[in-house]
Amino acid sequence: MSKNFLEIKDVTFEASKVNKVHNVSFNIEKEGDIVCLLGPSGIGKTTILRSIAGLTNIKSGKIVLKNKVISSDKIHIEPENRNISLSFQDNCLFPHYNVLKNIQFGAERNKKKKQTISTEEIIKFLNLEKIKDKFPHQISAGEAQRAALARSLVTKPDLLLLDEPLSNVDQSFKEEIQVKLKQILTEHKITTIIVTHDSYEAFYLGTKCGIILDEQLKQFDDPYNVYHFPNSVEVVSFLNRGILIPAKVTGENSLESVDLGIITGNFIKHYPKGSDVQLLLQPEDLEHDDQSSLKLEVVDRKFRGTNFIYTLKTASNKLIPVFVHSHHIHQHQVDEKFGIKLPINIDHIVCF
Amino acid sequence: MGIKNFNIWYVSSFLISIAVAIPILTICAGFFENTSNYYSILKDTFLFDYINHSLILLMGVLFLTFIIGVGAAYLVSFYNFPGSNFFKWALILSFAVPPYIYAYSLTAFFENYGTAFSILTNLFGEGEYNKHIPKMDGMFGAIISLTFSLFGYVYILTRASFHYQSQNLIDLGKNLGFSKNKSFFKIILPSARPAIVAGLSLVAMETLSDFGTVDFFNVSTLTTGIYNAWISFDDLSLANRLSFFLLIFILGLFVLENFSRKKAQYHSPTKSGFKSKTLINLDRSKSTLVVIFCSFIFFASFMFPVLQMFYWTIIFPKHFNDLNILSLFINTGILVLLASSVLITFAFISNYGNRVTKSKLLEALTTFSISGYAIPGVILAVAFISFVAWFDNTVVQYFGFKTIKTIFIGSILGLISVYFVRFYSLACNGIKSGYLKINYSIDESAYLLGYSKFKTFKNIHFPYLRNSILLIGLLIAIEIIKELPITLIMRPFNFETFATTAYIYASQDLLEAAAVPSLFLILITSTFILITSRYTLRD
Repeated sequence: MSKNFLEIKDVTFEASKVNKVHNVSFNIEKEGDIVCLLGPSGIGKTTILRSIAGLTNIKSGKIVLKNKVISSDKIHIEPENRNISLSFQDNCLFPHYNVLKNIQFGAERNKKKKQTISTEEIIKFLNLEKIKDKFPHQISAGEAQRAALARSLVTKPDLLLLDEPLSNVDQSFKEEIQVKLKQILTEHKITTIIVTHDSYEAFYLGTKCGIILDEQLKQFDDPYNVYHFPNSVEVVSFLNRGILIPAKVTGENSLESVDLGIITGNFIKHYPKGSDVQLLLQPEDLEHDDQSSLKLEVVDRKFRGTNFIYTLKTASNKLIPVFVHSHHIHQHQVDEKFGIKLPINIDHIVCF
Repeated sequence: MGIKNFNIWYVSSFLISIAVAIPILTICAGFFENTSNYYSILKDTFLFDYINHSLILLMGVLFLTFIIGVGAAYLVSFYNFPGSNFFKWALILSFAVPPYIYAYSLTAFFENYGTAFSILTNLFGEGEYNKHIPKMDGMFGAIISLTFSLFGYVYILTRASFHYQSQNLIDLGKNLGFSKNKSFFKIILPSARPAIVAGLSLVAMETLSDFGTVDFFNVSTLTTGIYNAWISFDDLSLANRLSFFLLIFILGLFVLENFSRKKAQYHSPTKSGFKSKTLINLDRSKSTLVVIFCSFIFFASFMFPVLQMFYWTIIFPKHFNDLNILSLFINTGILVLLASSVLITFAFISNYGNRVTKSKLLEALTTFSISGYAIPGVILAVAFISFVAWFDNTVVQYFGFKTIKTIFIGSILGLISVYFVRFYSLACNGIKSGYLKINYSIDESAYLLGYSKFKTFKNIHFPYLRNSILLIGLLIAIEIIKELPITLIMRPFNFETFATTAYIYASQDLLEAAAVPSLFLILITSTFILITSRYTLRD
């Protein structure tokens, strides 16, 4: 008997010849955990959800939910018998029923269950009161997406699958819904797998995150680890939150870069002294200091509200991103010199 | 078992398609059978005439229906003129008049001492008017009758296509400096091409399969040849062989069009970017011309046969009293109710089966089976009788059972069975087009909410497609009320409908007696068409 709530064991998901993911294995240990899957478009994330839901057959491996095999090369439990709910990206509300009736369709499924979230509760929670009597063609894409989300939530499924659940929701409303979504999933202990493009959304919602690249699950870990300890160059490149610069290991806790000089910190993996490595530099790794002797040229500046991201050019033409708090006393213009605080110390050093 | 696998829906859908395909397969099989000497005689004598006449008829009808159908659709879709909203729906009333009834009206009006003669005599006194009145008979009469009865197919499909053309397309033409003429020929017309071709294809199929009109005007076409092969020479194989040629010819037209279209798309895949058209107001002189054109089409296609039949009904009230109208109503009603319920039920099951199983084999089989619409009613009836006879002689008699010929030939069951094959495409395509509007993820959402396939069918699809079903029911009713050859061949003894009664009188040269059933037929179908137009012309 497995202790995991959901087990995906060596499963090959395939929707077409170009849309497949091989030998995927991961577990959801506890009921109520949330897993977020990240990856570029067309890589097969939706296929994974569809296969777990039973809408697409798997090629190999097995999927076990609550100790019951629901998919394997021999077994395929029909979608309607899995108690797994999937909220599609294109919402798929029934066009001939209003929003309320659409949500009630979901409620009917598990009406005998004690813990079902009430329709009224979910309507209020997701701010759907004003549109509950409207038909799908009368509401916006974002509203439809929230209604579809509500319909999925009221089913109180064993496993909830959300495909880009907030992709159409207005940016201004998105954070509020994210908070509410996390709250309701956690309160009602709804085990969930979310597919998203938005890494911030994944890092916020997920207890675990999976990165799918090159037809494989490249990394499956806590959001913190995925961000700070990416396990491959491909993951670094996909997350696009740092750059790799050449460096030489000079000691147990140090290395040297042609452009930045000596850098100290804790290696997360041992490298012999003298090794040539690619050092991952993330925007928060370097600090600004106007008094520093190490000056780099500003080639771009992005205002992100709470901070600026300066892109700096090194002597060897590498472009390095650096965060600066937006309340910093002065701003630097493009082509100006920008000081980097010395000595450079990075909490954890990630190299490849 | 996966959702794509073999299940009850698959089996049902498969059996329905096979049942519909049997008469079509019988025709194809007939191609390889031996024929009597009549085939060699025919080859040396009339076969060329049959083909020649069929082609002339086809070209004439296609040309005129194109001009009238596209012209009228263009005018009511792009211009604002007095009565434009009236003509939008009034022009489809031509569907209510079957070509053979139009032919009776045409002959009655233009024949020697006919209605035209009477009108002239009443207006101008006695005179030698016959030699001045043009004679609308033979090939010319057949072309005119078929044109005014069938142009509605081109009109309605083209109009729908024009309706969904975005104003942006026209504005784009203006930006590129196109004149109105150039915009019409370079943008508007090519964009509506699939609709026009679809309309013309229906016209072509109806023309090639027409029996009542060509028979009335004594025009020898492939269809009458097929009928003669069966009736006069009792050669079913030859009839099947000729039918096979006709099918290949129709298929060839489709392939040619598809090939020439290549991969061009004629519609925007999404609704985004669609902008409703601004109708152009015409000046007085142009407006008058347009009103005259549309009024002429409306009068010629609908009012003329109605008035002609009405006129006869009034001046020959005896025929009205002689006719058992109630019995004709009941008989026609029974056929309509039975056929539409059977067709819709089976088409629904088949479509849902295809949808659930996503089987390519099933889809191919369904596509093949709906080709029954392209086969003339005469041929289908003959093929059905051939199959029943073969099955009875081989399988039934082999097992020593009682003959099934009486159950299927000359019975309501047999009649409904052939209607089923003939109009299956109408029901099947109608429900299919309704289904195309339901994204497949809707079904998946229902499954994921715990709904079984049957519950999804009952709670999601059926309520959603309710209007489509009503529309298809009406369309089937219109077709069945007008249908002649199948009813004529397959009906039980002494079982008459409005269509068969009109035909029987007309074939006995009692055109005035044919007026009453014809008038009732037109009025009933007009009512159905007006209800249908609520759906088809909804803006």
